[in-house]
Amino acid sequence: MILPKFDYKKAEDIAAAIALYERSKGRACYLAGGTDLIPLLKLRLSEPSAMIDLKGIPQLKTISRKGNSLVIGPNVTLFELKNHETVKDYFPALYESLDATSCETLQMRGTIGGNILQNTRCLLYNKSLDWRTARGFCYKMGGETCNVVPNAAACFSNYCSDNALSLLSLSASVKLAGPEGERKIKLEKLFSKDGRNPFTLKPGEILTEFHIPFKRSTGAYEKLRVRNAIDYPLLGVAVSMIGGKGKVCVGGIGPAPLVYDLKDLSGAGLKEVAQQARQEARPVSNTTLSAGYRKKMVNVLTQRAIKRALKEGK
Amino acid sequence: MKDDLNIVGKRVVRSDSLAKVTGRARYTADLKFPNMLVAKVLRSPLPHARILGIDLTAALKVPGVKAAISGFDTYGVKWGVFRYTQDHDMLPTDKVRYIGEDVAAVAAVDEETALEALSRIQVDYEPLPAVFEPNEAMQEGAPQIHDAYKNNINVHVHINVGDVDKAMSEAFLVREDTFKAAGEAYAMMEPYAVVASYANGFLDLWMPNAGPHVRAKALSNLLKMPLNRVRVRHINSGGAFGGRSEVSPGDLVASLLSIKAGRPVRLALSREENATSTRQVHDMIATVKTGMSKDGAIMAKDYRVIYDGGAYSSTGPIATSIPFYVYEECYRFPNVRYNGYRVFTNKGIRGMYGCHGRAFIAGNEAQMDLMGKELGMDPVDIRLKNGLTSGEVTATQSKITSCGLAETIATASERTNFKEKWTKTSKGKGIGMGCIAIMCGFPMGFRSGSSCYVKMNDDGQATLVTGLVDNGQGNESMVIQVASEILGIPMEDVNLVNADTEATNLDPGAYSQAAAFVGANAVRIACENARKKIVAIAAEKLGVKEADIDLRDRMAFSRKTPGKNMRISWVVREAFFRGDPIVATGTYFPSIDFEREWVSRPWGQMAGTFSFGTSVAEVRIDGQTGKITVPHFTAAHDCGRPINPMAVEGQMEGSIQQAGIATIMEENLWNKGFLLNPDLLEYKVPLACDMPEIETIIVSSIDPEGPFGAKEGGLTIRMNAYSAIACAVANATGTLFSELPLTPDRVLNILERKKGAKK
Amino acid sequence: MKTIKVSFRVNDETVAFQVKPYETLLETLRERIDLIGSKEACGMGACGACTVIVDGIPLRSCLVLTPEVNGASITTVEGLAKDGNLHPLQEAFMEKGAVQCGFCTSGMIMTAKALLDRNKKPTQKEVIKTMSSNICRCTGYKKIVEAVEYAASRRTSAG
Repeated sequence: MILPKFDYKKAEDIAAAIALYERSKGRACYLAGGTDLIPLLKLRLSEPSAMIDLKGIPQLKTISRKGNSLVIGPNVTLFELKNHETVKDYFPALYESLDATSCETLQMRGTIGGNILQNTRCLLYNKSLDWRTARGFCYKMGGETCNVVPNAAACFSNYCSDNALSLLSLSASVKLAGPEGERKIKLEKLFSKDGRNPFTLKPGEILTEFHIPFKRSTGAYEKLRVRNAIDYPLLGVAVSMIGGKGKVCVGGIGPAPLVYDLKDLSGAGLKEVAQQARQEARPVSNTTLSAGYRKKMVNVLTQRAIKRALKEGK
Repeated sequence: MKDDLNIVGKRVVRSDSLAKVTGRARYTADLKFPNMLVAKVLRSPLPHARILGIDLTAALKVPGVKAAISGFDTYGVKWGVFRYTQDHDMLPTDKVRYIGEDVAAVAAVDEETALEALSRIQVDYEPLPAVFEPNEAMQEGAPQIHDAYKNNINVHVHINVGDVDKAMSEAFLVREDTFKAAGEAYAMMEPYAVVASYANGFLDLWMPNAGPHVRAKALSNLLKMPLNRVRVRHINSGGAFGGRSEVSPGDLVASLLSIKAGRPVRLALSREENATSTRQVHDMIATVKTGMSKDGAIMAKDYRVIYDGGAYSSTGPIATSIPFYVYEECYRFPNVRYNGYRVFTNKGIRGMYGCHGRAFIAGNEAQMDLMGKELGMDPVDIRLKNGLTSGEVTATQSKITSCGLAETIATASERTNFKEKWTKTSKGKGIGMGCIAIMCGFPMGFRSGSSCYVKMNDDGQATLVTGLVDNGQGNESMVIQVASEILGIPMEDVNLVNADTEATNLDPGAYSQAAAFVGANAVRIACENARKKIVAIAAEKLGVKEADIDLRDRMAFSRKTPGKNMRISWVVREAFFRGDPIVATGTYFPSIDFEREWVSRPWGQMAGTFSFGTSVAEVRIDGQTGKITVPHFTAAHDCGRPINPMAVEGQMEGSIQQAGIATIMEENLWNKGFLLNPDLLEYKVPLACDMPEIETIIVSSIDPEGPFGAKEGGLTIRMNAYSAIACAVANATGTLFSELPLTPDRVLNILERKKGAKK
Repeated sequence: MKTIKVSFRVNDETVAFQVKPYETLLETLRERIDLIGSKEACGMGACGACTVIVDGIPLRSCLVLTPEVNGASITTVEGLAKDGNLHPLQEAFMEKGAVQCGFCTSGMIMTAKALLDRNKKPTQKEVIKTMSSNICRCTGYKKIVEAVEYAASRRTSAG
């Protein structure tokens, strides 16, 4: 399957990357590991004028401690991050979500930045141009309808990053650099909740750093999938706890993760969070396994993840 | 036949594996020829529409485009395996009948140019109402997909033996259940590809195929070319599983483009095209009614099975019959009625599959467990009670000549401690058993037999020439092993010319389970004939009796006085001197009732012999998520004498993946005629981490007719592994399933229904 | 579209081409230097049949742009045998019967090689986890896992 035509540029630093973007008049696209992007290009779901390769930028590849944060460069691969000395000890939810991502080979190519900025998915979206043309374009392709839920007003595509959930549970924030300068936002704020365009990134912005508060947490990641590797989550739940308080994040359903604070650690409190997540999750028939089933599983996996996170804390 | 075997029966390294581990093995898409063009196909975006016109003009104007074709460039000859099923215009001019159907094609200097040209082809369609579910397609007033088939009923196989109604009324226990199963994807790793090269009036073709001769014959019909001018050549095949048996639209497309352009053409389908536009597996709904006597004997079976046939006939009559036959070859049915309906829908083309019929077979097996339980019998006893034995005749009059069914049941159940585990189920755990028989070959007229030609070369090496084809299961290595054994030379001294229609004689192909029993038998006979000639000269030269001569390690020698010996190469040279080189032919034609016909006369001897097998699965179910894991899987197989036990094990292990674990995850998903998972991401081929701990047991028996006693190896597990899983789930949940695959959502439904029923 | 000059080492030879910026490594290997051992089975990174090793890392070459590997050192299945001797993994795949249709084999062997290069003595669990990166339709994986373990044990015992 051949790629559409585009130019290739390699950036040596962030400023150069942004300059290349500006020169492309907004039609270029940043490239890291490519494991999410290249298939989208092959399917003609994205037809940029140029790829701006960020892999040659050394500062995007480092993991360091700055103040009270662990700072992770977005071009660190999932495999490198998983095997980093502090991750397993300090951030078990993240370790588990990294380990549950796709398969080892793709973990070695895929980057944490690319994993977070992966596009949302739908069985009727991730298809060839011919397939999609035959079916008719949906909201996410610039059309006027949803092919899954007739008469729906929104796009229900699923955000399938495993690791966004664990990073959210760890209260991570991200630093962005773009033509208009730098900014730092909470990771939650990265999500637009609109499946058509799932991120709040401004044109030309590059994700430059992840910040995780450097505190030892307990946690767990639960993933619903059919096969035990390669599969995207049909539902993911990450829980991280620090000092009797925690966060629960539910994803893989809909265009943005759901985030809940966990304060009441009694049995009733846990059930309540799980129940609330179940109520708020709105799966539709846009992936494998039935929507009703995935909704039920929100409750089950949320409780499981919380219980494991608590158990680990003891 | 020799009894003291040196090579047959040994775990030998397959002859094809060196090329494959070094990356040198060539598959169709690897081929390159001077001036070769790239082909691309324009496909139907509609499930059902009248074609009003196709305009190729603009496409032909794109620089670099060398040919463009549509159905108006063909002879309009339709394909069908049987005369009465010829309904598939592989480039249609009247209507399109499924999304993804081949409509037009171009050949250009590169892929980009070809894609550009495709986008300029104009096709005018008049959309027609479409129908996607067989139950709806059979209703009066449903959209008619082919004029010739009323109510879209493509094939009706009707079998009626004994008096079913009477037996049902006399039965102690009668039960009727309906089982559904989604069709699977073959998901062979190699996407379909064809290289066609037309020059000087001859068309040479390479493509993954399971029978070069039937492929060439079909193409010679479609192209109205003499058969000898259509030459299908040998090439490695990246998996078939039944899906490469028939001629494919791509074959016609590449051939026409090459003829038109006068240049070689390569058509390599994308993974998505391979899924939407080559053959798929039938979805099915099976209603199984069984009458049993008080002692657990099956008295009658009454079946109504509906197969979703997709848009065209394909192997229709065979596909509509096989699930029934492999089951009746396994168990005794004094009275049986089978109504199999293959129904057209506006979905992709369907073919036979190595695991074909899981709703029917797993349904039968699980229902039998339930009925047995009611009668106080466990799955082992009820299967032994009803299983066929050597010398018996099936309901449709096939004699079983050798049968290790009981041994496979006994071994598999002993190894797994089956009876105890089945009786004392603990929460979320289950064990299940599936049995089946497989015919080794089936009636294919004069193509049912195989012929081999062997010549001894002047260095003492041998060359085999046979039509036998290898789709990855190891057929090539198998016949080299057979020749090596008989001719007394190592495997590396045996060269193979095979699966080339110009050089080789007819062979039934690798989709009929006949490679070991028929193809290898022809090789055996040819080599035995050559051996006789070698032995005669050696005996004369060494001054001993012919009966005293043995061949081994490239030597001919006296068994009594091994010091008397000579190189086989000397014998060969001596034969050249005598003007009578050592060449021989061998033909094997199985004893089959050739009056037998799938629809009009469904009785008589089906095949030369049958193989048998038993699978046992142990499952665990997560009660909250419904997710099944399979910690252990045990398979016992009577394949006659295994020629290469390692290869037979490989077939069994692959079957456990493709049929067994598939039962918890594999299905094609459809929506309005669109295939939703035409890829390797959302179509779930099980991975290494999804596999159980496997134990394979080969129950050797010696088939009186098979080469060194061999029969089909592996397919039995492909057709009983799903039963073992499904029965194990039924055992764990205490209730029958109604739909396969047993994905977590379906399993949770079963558990919740059960809970609800208790309350 | 302008072509880009790219040079890299493949199987210990330096090669240089003018490539299309949107050319994948898999296309370059197969079409320009006839290294046809790497297969396109899905083209979307799902199956691993196109796996090659780039600077020690196993990559799905269908997801890599050729310009991205400028200056890299690449090993494909064709580069495993040295001086006429097969790599222990190649021998193990043959001896253990881990090869059937062969279409996934190159990718399987390259994935396994990258594993053994970073972990000389993997446990069976580790082997299964790594090999779950690749899809095989024929074998049920049992003999593939056995072959990788066997190759590891032979390499270890040979020092």
